[in-house]
Amino acid sequence: MIITGHLHPSTLTLRTLVEIFEDLGFEVFEGPEVDDEWHNFDALNVPADHPARDTQDTFWLKDGRLLRTHTSNSQVRSARGKKPPIRYVIPGKCYRNEAVDESHETTLWMLEGLYIGKGITVGHLFWTLDHVMRKLYGEKVEYRIRPHHFPFVEPGYELDLKREKPPASTREGEPQRGGWLEMLGCGMVHPIVLKNMGLDPNEYSGFAFGMGPDRMTMRKYGIKDIRQMWANDLRFLRQF
Amino acid sequence: MKYLKSWLEDYYKLPKDIDVCDLITRLGAETESLTLAPSIDENVVTARVLEVIPHPNADRLKLAKITTGKEEITVVCGAPNIEPGQCVAYARPGAKIRGGKVEKATIRGVGSPGMILSEREMGIGKDHSGIKALEGSLGLGCPVAASLQGEVVLDAEVTPNRGDLLSHFGLARDLAALELKKIEKPKLKLPEIKDLAEKEITVQLKSVNCPLYLARVVKGVKIAPSPDWLVKRLALLGVNPINNIVDATNYILFDLGHPLHAFDLRKLEGSKIVVRDLEKNEEVVTLDGEARELVEGMMVIAGEKRPVAIAGVMGLKNSEIDDETADVVIEAAVFDRKSIRKTAKLLGLVTEASYRFERGVDDVGVEYALDKAAKMIQEMAGGRILKGIVKAGKLSVAGHQTVEYQKINQLVGREYSRDRVDNILAALGFEVESGQARIPSWRHDITSWQDLAEEVARIDGIEKIKAGKPPEAETKSGESDWHKKEAIKDFLVSLGLTEALNYTFLSGADIKAAKLKTEDLLEVANPVQEENRYLRPSLVPGLLKSIARNPSFDNIEFFEIGNVFSKTQEKTNLAIATAGKGRKVAEITQELAKKFGFEKDEFSIFEIPRDELKRFKIKKPSVSIAEVDLGQILPQTKFGKLEIEVLQREIKYRSVSSFPSVSRDLAFVVDAKITLEEIKKEILASSNKAILVEPFDEFIDERFGKGKKSVAFHIYLQAEDRTLSDKEADGEIKKIISALEKKFTAKLRS
Repeated sequence: MIITGHLHPSTLTLRTLVEIFEDLGFEVFEGPEVDDEWHNFDALNVPADHPARDTQDTFWLKDGRLLRTHTSNSQVRSARGKKPPIRYVIPGKCYRNEAVDESHETTLWMLEGLYIGKGITVGHLFWTLDHVMRKLYGEKVEYRIRPHHFPFVEPGYELDLKREKPPASTREGEPQRGGWLEMLGCGMVHPIVLKNMGLDPNEYSGFAFGMGPDRMTMRKYGIKDIRQMWANDLRFLRQF
Repeated sequence: MKYLKSWLEDYYKLPKDIDVCDLITRLGAETESLTLAPSIDENVVTARVLEVIPHPNADRLKLAKITTGKEEITVVCGAPNIEPGQCVAYARPGAKIRGGKVEKATIRGVGSPGMILSEREMGIGKDHSGIKALEGSLGLGCPVAASLQGEVVLDAEVTPNRGDLLSHFGLARDLAALELKKIEKPKLKLPEIKDLAEKEITVQLKSVNCPLYLARVVKGVKIAPSPDWLVKRLALLGVNPINNIVDATNYILFDLGHPLHAFDLRKLEGSKIVVRDLEKNEEVVTLDGEARELVEGMMVIAGEKRPVAIAGVMGLKNSEIDDETADVVIEAAVFDRKSIRKTAKLLGLVTEASYRFERGVDDVGVEYALDKAAKMIQEMAGGRILKGIVKAGKLSVAGHQTVEYQKINQLVGREYSRDRVDNILAALGFEVESGQARIPSWRHDITSWQDLAEEVARIDGIEKIKAGKPPEAETKSGESDWHKKEAIKDFLVSLGLTEALNYTFLSGADIKAAKLKTEDLLEVANPVQEENRYLRPSLVPGLLKSIARNPSFDNIEFFEIGNVFSKTQEKTNLAIATAGKGRKVAEITQELAKKFGFEKDEFSIFEIPRDELKRFKIKKPSVSIAEVDLGQILPQTKFGKLEIEVLQREIKYRSVSSFPSVSRDLAFVVDAKITLEEIKKEILASSNKAILVEPFDEFIDERFGKGKKSVAFHIYLQAEDRTLSDKEADGEIKKIISALEKKFTAKLRS
C-alpha cells in the first residue's frame, strides 16, 4: 500500500491563501528574511525615533542588519522598477524578539498583499477583504473593519473576525473581551512608500494588507499552543 | 488608556442607545469596557458603622454595631481598619458573595447576622486586608451594586499617532465630532491676587528642546489628602492618590492630556527655573525613590545649580511637595518629542508624562491646563494664586494642508460633497477656508491630504464605503520559485515524508553539538532568549533536533525547505533526513532527481556519525541527511504544469501531550468494502487516548474468506497529564477492539 506523508499545517494554510489571491490575479513574491533597516522600517515610513518601532521587538544582528519583523520589508523591493498594475502576495516567516509561551512565538508566518494601480480605492480594498473572508470562512462570516494606524498606510484599518464562542469567563477588573479576533492590518499605501517604490502618488494609488496565517491555522484546527507549530512532534505533524 | 465614562460626559453627553465602546472603536481606538460592579448580590447593602467594641472572647475580633437606616445590627468583624463613621458593604444572611453564601453564624460565642465585606468579597478587587470603606455620600440600606453602577471604565488602545486622544477632553472632542459637534473647554475664572508671580521666580530657556515653558505660583497652600471625588477618579484609573497638589496635576494630565509638574518653591535654589541640557553625567534621586544616573545631554529643569526634574519625564526628590510645603510652583511646558523619547528610553523610565510628550502635546492648550490646575489647587488646598504666568519661549506656527476634495473621493471611493468634507473637518477643529485647512494645534499626525481622507472617511463612517471589485488585469501563470518549492513538497509527501519546520535560530549548545564554527555565523545582538543566538547555516542541526524529539517513532522521514544564513549570503535549502531501519536518504534523492531532472550530485549526503547522534541525544542507530541549495537548481529546472494541492480533507485535531506516547499495532480482518479512513475514524472515536492512527498494511487474500481483507494499524496512545502505563494502554486497545468488532464485525488477527 502507498503510505503518503504529511504537509505542515502552516503550509496548508499558506496554500489556501495563495490560491485565493492567485484567482484574483496576484502573483507570489518572496523576499529576504535578513534585511537592512531601510527596507524593514525607513522605506515604510517608520522613522528611527517613531514610537511604532517600540511596538515591534526586533532581532538585531551584530552586523547592524535585522530579521524582518514583517514581510512588508519586500513591499518596496517587489514594486520598484515595475509599471503598475502591481499585484503581489508575499508569504514568509517574520520574527519577534520575545520570550516564548503558548501564545507568543519568535517566529511567525505572514502573508503580505499589495495592489497598486490607477484609481485603486478603499472600496477596492474592502471588496478584496470581503472576498477573502467569504472564501475562508463561508458566506455567513461575521467580521468588522475599524480604523487603525500603521505608518506605511493612510488611511489604515484593522479587520477583526467574530469569535465563534465568547471567550472564557470574565474576571473582575479585566476587560470584557468584545468577542473579536484581530485578523489583519491593511490600508492605502502611504504616499511616502509609493515614492520609495519610484511611483508618483498623484498618478497611482494602492492598497496593502498583512495577515497572520498562524492564527488562522490555530483557529481552524483548534491548536491551543503556538509552540506546537515549531516543535516537529510527529504526533502533531502526522495528524495533518 | 483607561477612561471613565462619567468623566467623558463632563465634556460631552454620550448617546444612550449606542455602545460607547463601539463608538470609540469607530474612531480608531479599539475599546473594551471593564466591569467594576460584577453583579453584586442585592442583599449586599450600604450601612454605617456606629460603634466598634472588642469581642469578649477573642483579641483579634471586634463587634461592630452598624445601621442600614432601618435597623441596627451587631456583627462580628476581624478587619483591622474598621472605624465608626465608615460607610460599608453589609451582606445579609443569604447573600451570595465571592467565596460562598453568607450564613447566620456564631463566632466565638457571639451571634453574627451577616458580615461586612472586603473588596475581594465584593468581587470588585483583590484587597482582602480589611473591609472596604465606601463613598460617604451613598444612601444607607441601598444595594451596593446600584451605587457602584454608572462608573464604567473604558480601556481604549490609542495608536501612537493620536497623542491628542490621551485625555478625557481629547477623546470627548473626537466623540463629539462623530455627531459633527465641536466642543470647547469651559471658560475659567481665576481668583488671582495682586502680587506678581514674576517677582517670585524667573524662567530661563537654555535648551533648544523646550520651545515653551509656563509657570504659576500659588502661595500659602495647606497640604492635605484630596477630596473623595478626586481620589475616586484617579483610583479608578489605577493612579495612587498622594496629596491635593500632586493629585491636581495628575488629574489635569488625564483630564486635558497635559503633563504638569509641581515644585516646592522654597526648595528651588535662587528662585530660578533654568531649562538646560546636562553638561556632564549626574546622579539624582527621582520621585519614585530610585537613584538614577543622568547622562550628558539630557534635558533637566534646574534651580540655580541642581536639577529639580528630568524634563518631561519625572521630578526629583529634592524639590518634592511634602507636608510642610506652603508655596508651590506649577510647571506647564512643551518639550521636544524626540528628546523626551530618547531620555525616557535611555533611563528605562516611561511615565504618563513622557508617554504624552513623546506623542506630542497641544501647545496652545498648555496655558489652560496650567490655569485649571492652579484653580483646582486653590479650591482644594486654599492659598493665593499670584498674578500672571511666568513665560519663556513661544508657540509653534500652525500648519496648513490643502484639502484635495477630488483626490480624497478618488482614494476612498466615495463621493463626499465639499460641504460634508468641510463640516467634518470643522468638527475636528480644522479651520477650513477656500480649500485650505488650518491644522489644529493638537493634531501632529496630519501631514498630507491622505491624512484628511482618513479623517473624513472615519467620521463619515467607513461602513458607508461601497466595496467594489478592483479592475481586472491579465493573470500571469503561477510558475514562481514558490510554486516549484511547493511542487517538491507535494512530491516528497507522496513518497511518505513529513514536512518539518524548524526555528531559524540555533543556540550555543546546538552549535557545539553540531561542531559548527561560530565565526562563520550570523549572530543576534540582542536575543531575549539564549536559544535564539545564532542563525542556522544549514537545515541539518534543526532536523537532528526534530529526530531527537520523536523517540517513540521507529522510522522517521522528514524534509524541510527553509532559509539558511552565512555572513554573506541567505539561501533557500532543501534537506531530507531519514532515521531508523527504513529507507536511506539516497533512495529519496534519486526519486527526486528523476522526477524533476535535478543532477543527483547537487545533493550533499551525509551519514551522521555516532558521536554526533549522541550529542544530539538521538538513540536511533542510523541517520542520514541530504541537503541542497535550491537557489542553484530551481532556475535551471523545468517543472512543467504545476498543480499545487490544497487539502480538502476534514481533520479533527487532538492536542499533543507533553508526555510520551505508547504505540501498539493491531491487525484485523474486515469486509473489503470498508475503507481505511472509516476504520481510522472509529478507532479515534472509541478512544480519546488515541492520537494517531496510521494504517501500514492492507491486502486481500482468499484465506480470510470471500470479499475480506486484512488491515493493520499503528496506534499511538497518550494522556494529557501522564505517561500511560502498559495496563492502561492495553485497556484502551481492548476498547478499540470491541468497538471495531461491534461496528464492522472485524476479527482481530493474532
